Amino acid sequence: MSKRTACLLLLVLPLVLLGGCWSRQEMNELAIVLGAGVDRAPDGRVRLTLQLARPSAFAGGAEAGGGTAAKQNIVWVVSETGDTVYEAERNLALKLSRCIYWGHDVILVIGEEMARGGVRNISNFFMRNPQTRETIWVLVSKGEAKKLLESHSELEKTSAQSVGFLVRNRAGLSVILKDFQMALASCGTNPAAPRVELQKLGQPQGPGMEEKLQHEEAVITGTGVFKDDRLAGWLDTSETRGLLWLRGEVRKGAITIPSPGQPDKLISLSLVRGKTRVEPEYDGETVRFNVNLSFEADLLEQQSTEDLTTPEKVAAVEMAAAEDVFRKCADALEKARGEYGTDVFNFGEAFHRKYKKEWKVLKDCWNEEFAKAEVNIAVEAHLRRSGLLTRRASLKQE
Amino acid sequence: MAEGAKVSSRQGAFLMANVIFSTLIIFVPTITARHARQDAWISIILAAGAGLLVGLLAAALGRRFPDQTIFEYPAEIVGRWAGKLVGLLYVWWFLHLAAESFRVFGEFLVAIFMPETPVAVLIVLGATGGVYAVRHGLEVITRANEIFLPLAFVSVVVIFILAAGQMNFQRLLPVADVGAVQVFKGAAVALSYFGEIAAIAVLVPYLNKPREAGQVAVAGVLASAAFFLLVMLGILTVYGPDLAGAYVFPTLNETRIISIANFLERLEAVNIVIWITGAYVKICFYLWAAALGSAQVLALKDYRPLVLPLVAVAVAMSTMLHPGILELLDFRWMVWPPYALSTFELGVPLLLLVTALARGKGGRPA
Repeated sequence: MSKRTACLLLLVLPLVLLGGCWSRQEMNELAIVLGAGVDRAPDGRVRLTLQLARPSAFAGGAEAGGGTAAKQNIVWVVSETGDTVYEAERNLALKLSRCIYWGHDVILVIGEEMARGGVRNISNFFMRNPQTRETIWVLVSKGEAKKLLESHSELEKTSAQSVGFLVRNRAGLSVILKDFQMALASCGTNPAAPRVELQKLGQPQGPGMEEKLQHEEAVITGTGVFKDDRLAGWLDTSETRGLLWLRGEVRKGAITIPSPGQPDKLISLSLVRGKTRVEPEYDGETVRFNVNLSFEADLLEQQSTEDLTTPEKVAAVEMAAAEDVFRKCADALEKARGEYGTDVFNFGEAFHRKYKKEWKVLKDCWNEEFAKAEVNIAVEAHLRRSGLLTRRASLKQE
Repeated sequence: MAEGAKVSSRQGAFLMANVIFSTLIIFVPTITARHARQDAWISIILAAGAGLLVGLLAAALGRRFPDQTIFEYPAEIVGRWAGKLVGLLYVWWFLHLAAESFRVFGEFLVAIFMPETPVAVLIVLGATGGVYAVRHGLEVITRANEIFLPLAFVSVVVIFILAAGQMNFQRLLPVADVGAVQVFKGAAVALSYFGEIAAIAVLVPYLNKPREAGQVAVAGVLASAAFFLLVMLGILTVYGPDLAGAYVFPTLNETRIISIANFLERLEAVNIVIWITGAYVKICFYLWAAALGSAQVLALKDYRPLVLPLVAVAVAMSTMLHPGILELLDFRWMVWPPYALSTFELGVPLLLLVTALARGKGGRPA
């Protein structure tokens, strides 16, 4: 009998224990952060902006179209200042009816002014907090991060998700918090993050169009280049291509060059795969980097009428394409190294890997050494395919 | 004999592998990465090599007394009262280790998953199950471990594969960047965790083939080292030495980085499974050893009545040992390695073996 009682007690006990614990948090008690922005407030303090999801609006299928009466705002953007990021977060929490939950944060946007003043002080919170993930996309906004988070996306439910998808699709440089931190910690490279800004983009069509004549979408327009933890300047979209090439992070993209035989007409190649090899050399005085790029591309558009399928023409196209990539790399190098004096290409890391003894001397003034370094870029292009056409179908001259 | 269990050599090796592995993955990555940076994996290999010697030493000692534990045979080697003292010190050692493991188990859950739960609550809940398992003896613990440990090892491999997208093996270069001293420092820390293989000194008489004790120790060290090396390589190639040396639980971060197609992510639960099952078996084994040791030193017939009080002591100790996780880490990184190696893992067994050889005690190792 006592054994049966004991068994029964044992069965009841888990009911009490499994029900939950101190740290239980219900969905409907959470304010889910989708995007976070950090700006420098006018008084020099940290201003944290959060884009919070309104789950009821998500569930209600606000995008289901037509149901104008049931339309609800899908996010709520709030800001608060504090001396540290966490203090700002707590100050914000005082005004929110729900617990701030960071687990689903997609992006971290650093405002331009904050970035120029240095990001080391604000990035720690996002690494230390167990809720924020290492895979958050880090971006630098042109202007205020707050403005950016206050925008709305036409295709996605929120602008934070939209920007997250953009970076994920490698529209430009893609940097997660972990990589950003590693670059910040390393002597051999400096951080870089995609630049995001609001742009009048397109014209929403449909029943709601009259309400949204002034639609601004958050888009990626280049790269913010850091020197140590301070934003030094920007690279535009084309220079960003060069940056990606030199970092070996190019995946896809277009290369537009003049047609070899008819230089006033253009052809476009689609990049299939690219490879970057950086080989440092050091003779005790000059640091030299031999950068070998090679890529494969397909011909995807031709404005000219010439036949590009002969071996000579293919060679000429490959040379022009290589020249174009070389130009972009040289531009990026010139801007980042010449103008901003910073190595965002991981070249210092490559040097460290090969010359570990010499690195101990050079690492403390690497950016200056890099400014003096010789960089030789060699590009090898291969035209592999030409889409569905061999030559143009209509050869009529205008 | 207070415990009548017999376990096979394979079960013994699994148990030893778990005893080492479950602590390795918590503490060792950060501190070896701090000392040896990207050469931390070399430290691990060196430590595993030295750990083999520690294991073989303890096994050699055990094989001279194939039906006695380390709580009993010191009495034959150094005399009755001095031997009892050594036995009691080993009881302290296992009790302390159990308390430490309890605390780490609690702190891990609190730090990451349940920040508002008092750590004592988690420890007491864990201990309740622990008492039950320990009272059922060694065979139950080893059998549970036969299910848990393969699960942990498979998870480690799966996590490594899933995190591969974030890995860059160039982060291991340049090799030998920090100098031999730093690599050896890292190895010394890691060795103090591999050194827990000395616990095989309790296991030997319960192996159904005590003469295979050496192989059991070797297999335990090698298996834990191989899978831990995989963890360490994953951490280093994903995070690089700077971040690896900064995180509290880098092993957890290796899992957190996994994000495949915005879909396969947030797999931290796997880490909880690995760690809780591993810690559970380890704690039970140490509590069992402490209870058995007390009984043997005090010449009691049964160790079971001692289990509950000893667990209570271990739980109380676990909450009192360190004020917080920072002190715990400092202790495990700075104090633990010299303490553990100089005494219970290496120093005492070595002295015992030398004395036994000098006095001609114990049978020839079979």
